[in-house]
Amino acid sequence: MIKLENVTKTYKGDVVALRGASVDIQKGEFVFLVGQSGSGKSTFMRLLNREEVPTEGQIFVAGKDIGSLSSWKVPYLRRNIGCVFQDFKLLNKKTVAENVGFALEVIGRPRHVVVKQVPAILELVGLGDKMLKFPDELSGGEQQRVSIARAFVNRPLILLADEPTGNLDPETSVGIMRLLDRINRTGTTVVMATHDRGIVDTMRRRVIELNRGVIVRDQHRGVYE
Amino acid sequence: MALRVEYLVRETGNNLRRNVALTIPAVLTVAVSLALFGVSLLLGGGADRFTQQWRGGIEFIIFMNPDASQDQIDLIQNAVNTSPEVKKWKYFDKQMAFDEFRELFKDKPDLVNSVTPDILPPSYRVVPQNPDADAVTALAAQFENQPGVKQVRKATDVIKDVESLTRYIKIGLWVTSIVLFAVSLLLILNTIFTAMTARRREIEVMKLVGATNWFIRVPFMLEGLIQGVSGAIVAVIATSVFNGQVFPRIQRLEILKDFRVDSGQLWTTSIWLIVLGCVIGVVGSLFGVSRYLDV
Repeated sequence: MIKLENVTKTYKGDVVALRGASVDIQKGEFVFLVGQSGSGKSTFMRLLNREEVPTEGQIFVAGKDIGSLSSWKVPYLRRNIGCVFQDFKLLNKKTVAENVGFALEVIGRPRHVVVKQVPAILELVGLGDKMLKFPDELSGGEQQRVSIARAFVNRPLILLADEPTGNLDPETSVGIMRLLDRINRTGTTVVMATHDRGIVDTMRRRVIELNRGVIVRDQHRGVYE
Repeated sequence: MALRVEYLVRETGNNLRRNVALTIPAVLTVAVSLALFGVSLLLGGGADRFTQQWRGGIEFIIFMNPDASQDQIDLIQNAVNTSPEVKKWKYFDKQMAFDEFRELFKDKPDLVNSVTPDILPPSYRVVPQNPDADAVTALAAQFENQPGVKQVRKATDVIKDVESLTRYIKIGLWVTSIVLFAVSLLLILNTIFTAMTARRREIEVMKLVGATNWFIRVPFMLEGLIQGVSGAIVAVIATSVFNGQVFPRIQRLEILKDFRVDSGQLWTTSIWLIVLGCVIGVVGSLFGVSRYLDV
């Protein structure tokens, strides 16, 4: 599903964020990306979403080399990749339902699809009774559930989660991880960057560790360190 | 598709409403620049008509009697043709005179219908070697009182003044309107930029979930287009008012009675203004979105 072949990403001023990374992630896998701040986790995620292009090497998503993808095709790639962030990135002037529906609306899905899928996905994330609330009326955990609902409403092949529990207390984090696990069981590949040792050690999934842009460990059923 | 149209209308409407403090100056600047341009077009048209008979350095016209004999016509032709003081000349027969009359008075069909080529005088239009007033007067005098000649009419100073004055006014209006075009483009660009900055979070989310650049761009471009077209509509109204109120006053002066704009020209000018309004709006907003949306 995701394949990196000797990928290097260098930013201006010769800052190397990722060096010679080669990874093969199968469909339906759940992968933790761990490492200290500045180790290259975010660059790794941004490369998968084509927010960045590799300086060297190739990245394949669903068999396509996304580095050589022309820019007008990038939106169509992104429709297959859901993204969840630490800061949720919700629109405060829209209700929960509107936030989720927005993701379908802007890719041109017809209204009857929006009307049908939004309540269903909000039920799935446990927010069926909060559709008309605004984000600032929700707790952090609930806001992250909205963000996950938005990322998953289009049934993407891949879900990228960049520190999704970074702003949440441990109890709420467990709920979010259960939700991501449930999504993963539907066949969606999940790649999650995290600092949360407890979660990684509890879940025992594949762990890729980055250190100064280099993959130093790739372990199945791994732990944080 | 229905959703997309609804989305476009809603988003464009929201942008215009949120941005009203910037939208109004942008629309007004477009309106002023286009109105000046429109007036310069009308003024140019009016002046062209006024000076039509005198273009190309023609200093006097020898009008023959409508019933002048062919011998009399040939005699005058021979005289202008052999005179060393005549640089160029052109013969206008009755049909050409009628065509010109029809063109000059095309917005007065009753007048045109009451005239036939027979009653119009043929004429010679003369460009002398020396355009000085004394030389022209002396040369024109040679043809007065010749058999078959009805009248020799000289280009008056007024015609020359009007020609040069309208030329300067037109240049002035053009320069001003070009500067204002640039200002309106920048104002629209700024409005679009502000609208996009206000919605940067939304745009970020749109990009993340896979909205195409065009989907993101179009509401902002429509906003620019609406600003341009609104400005153009105001300009068309202003130009029509100018045409209705100011030109009739100009025509009241006997000497400037031929200074006229017909309704066809007003239509052409209006279409030009609307097209230019669209161009300003779309180009301004296109610059705005392309600078912001580097996906």
